[in-house]
Amino acid sequence: MPPPPRRRPQELEEEEEEEDTQQIPDHVDEDGDEPMEDADADAGGEMNTMIKNLVRYALACEFSRTPIRRDAIRDKVLGPRGRSFKKVFAGAQKQLRATFGMEMVELPTKDRNLLTTEQKRKAAKSQSQKEPTSNAYILVSVLPEAYTTPNIIPPSKVQSADGEAAYIGLYTIIIAIITLSGGELSEPRLRRYLTRLNAAENMPSMNPHDATAPSEKTDAVLQRMVKQGYLVKVTESRSAGDDEGTTWHVGPRGKIEVDKEAIANVVRAVYGGSSGELEKKLETSLKIKGRSRGGEGAVEEEEVEEAPPDGDPGPSHHRRHGRR
Amino acid sequence: MADDWEPPLPPGYNDAHRAFLQAFMARGTLTFREGRKLLAAIASASNAGRDGDSDGEGEGEGHGHGHGPVNPDSITMADFESWVRTVREAVEPLDFDVRNTRDQVRGERVWAFVNAHSDPVTQLGTARTPDEVAYVKRLLDAMFDQHNTPRMEVMAVDEGQALRASRPRGRESQAGGDADAGEEGTQAPAAARPLKHSEVLALLASLVAEGWLRKSQDGFYDLTPRALMELWPWLVETYNDPEPADGDWQRIKFCEACKEIVTHGQRCDNLDCTVRLHDICDEAFWRTRSARTCPKCGTPWEGNHFVGERAVTTRAGFQRGRGARRRTEAAQNDEEPVDEEEEEGA
Repeated sequence: MPPPPRRRPQELEEEEEEEDTQQIPDHVDEDGDEPMEDADADAGGEMNTMIKNLVRYALACEFSRTPIRRDAIRDKVLGPRGRSFKKVFAGAQKQLRATFGMEMVELPTKDRNLLTTEQKRKAAKSQSQKEPTSNAYILVSVLPEAYTTPNIIPPSKVQSADGEAAYIGLYTIIIAIITLSGGELSEPRLRRYLTRLNAAENMPSMNPHDATAPSEKTDAVLQRMVKQGYLVKVTESRSAGDDEGTTWHVGPRGKIEVDKEAIANVVRAVYGGSSGELEKKLETSLKIKGRSRGGEGAVEEEEVEEAPPDGDPGPSHHRRHGRR
Repeated sequence: MADDWEPPLPPGYNDAHRAFLQAFMARGTLTFREGRKLLAAIASASNAGRDGDSDGEGEGEGHGHGHGPVNPDSITMADFESWVRTVREAVEPLDFDVRNTRDQVRGERVWAFVNAHSDPVTQLGTARTPDEVAYVKRLLDAMFDQHNTPRMEVMAVDEGQALRASRPRGRESQAGGDADAGEEGTQAPAAARPLKHSEVLALLASLVAEGWLRKSQDGFYDLTPRALMELWPWLVETYNDPEPADGDWQRIKFCEACKEIVTHGQRCDNLDCTVRLHDICDEAFWRTRSARTCPKCGTPWEGNHFVGERAVTTRAGFQRGRGARRRTEAAQNDEEPVDEEEEEGA
């Protein structure tokens, strides 16, 4: 059943409306509670505080790779003035871009066809009229690509820079493999690739300098990747033929942080540079247009960016998402 | 609030500054050596992408002159400081700050991107579990309370002591007089689960890698300049008496010369005197004075009484070996020996 055309999520409508009405106290009651919040005089200061808090909250979330959730914003930042979400969000967005060169990007919603049959059934039952939105955001860098090289912006030190680098390398290559396999990878095939990467059993831990735990079980790392939204693991309990039941997909955070360009960079790094033929294949596989600046055979560029010492796809750091 | 609101920014603030800021935040701290490498890389990137955007140049960029890679040596301290100032101005309205201090051991100046109102919970809360945060709080108590007494201002813990903090201290804190510390000490255990020793070791290692703790050759953990810059207001508030009588001993003390916190330095030979001095400030300080005596009590300053791990390591007991060291410490800080046995089972 196709959704009715142009039916915007109700919430949004409400808020747009309310912005207009905010100046006019009479109308506010109609919307519900809190007729008091029109005091425009202190609204500026209050708004600034809320924007500041949202910016700080967004930065803190990114620290631990937690999505910035709309509910949490309402809870922690807006408090009683829950209705100003849109304005505060827009202000925070401006502030993040202007000061930090970052912005919040909404995560894509869960893919319909990733749901198991049961989940689909459930979703169909509870299906609301709303367009699906995830209401969760992550912080990405909007700096020009020239600035997002590892020698300027290194892997974050959270837990340890080396662990972070290894982790970024691993999820980037796994996402690249999944994407190039058509967006889906069966459990045995993932394991086979991991064996080739010598990561079937163990992966570096988030802190390889920790003498007691320099490495972690592969399953634990994969689990973290799932938890942080890089990967999605779908287990369908079929009646027969159980062994093919588990498939791996790219998660919402993974889709945004490891974009097609990053995947292409991994491939170029693996193939030791770029060539006309390789670029053509990449275009087909990733369904992208040719690189705008490089054109075909843009070899010199690759050498600047693509020569991480140990085959680690370094430059595909998650903050290098170059949207503008 | 109008839609055309624009966040306040320092004049000339551009993508190069934003890159500098992101780089600074990812690193947490910068020394001048690291900073000039970074600025050179940024200036090189700006040069490479110059054609595209020409909206104002950073103050430091004058050295890049147009094209090609920029040599880090061409970045002066004045350039670096001006970049830091600009970025600081940009983040200040958001309650972030850039502070700098000298490393008490190496003397090198360190700049850190800090949260202007910070305590261990907000600082670590996002990336750590509540149990780990509670442990860090206990670890700080161990450093600044248990192992920081008028006789022995160690302000550092060795691995064994760090492990001993793995479980919440029951009943009463060892603080004795300090009501503040006592309260918090008893609040935490209610919720906190003791950490396993393996968890403590992993946490310590990652705090070292993140740049909050430093592990010395003798195996002591103490706070890094970064942690001190971030936490000193909180440390003062938590561990010091808000209204000290004149000459009272306080847990957190500041250097007579540079007025910054001392966790590694020298103390007056008179153990009742509260004057402390950094090793790195020592030379310049005595040059300005006629006599090498304590400016407060006049005791001759020998410079062989220490704050920091040397309060332990210069003792004969420590130098006689590990076993001896353990015994001396046990005697000094009436630790319950039971504690350790229980924990080994955890």
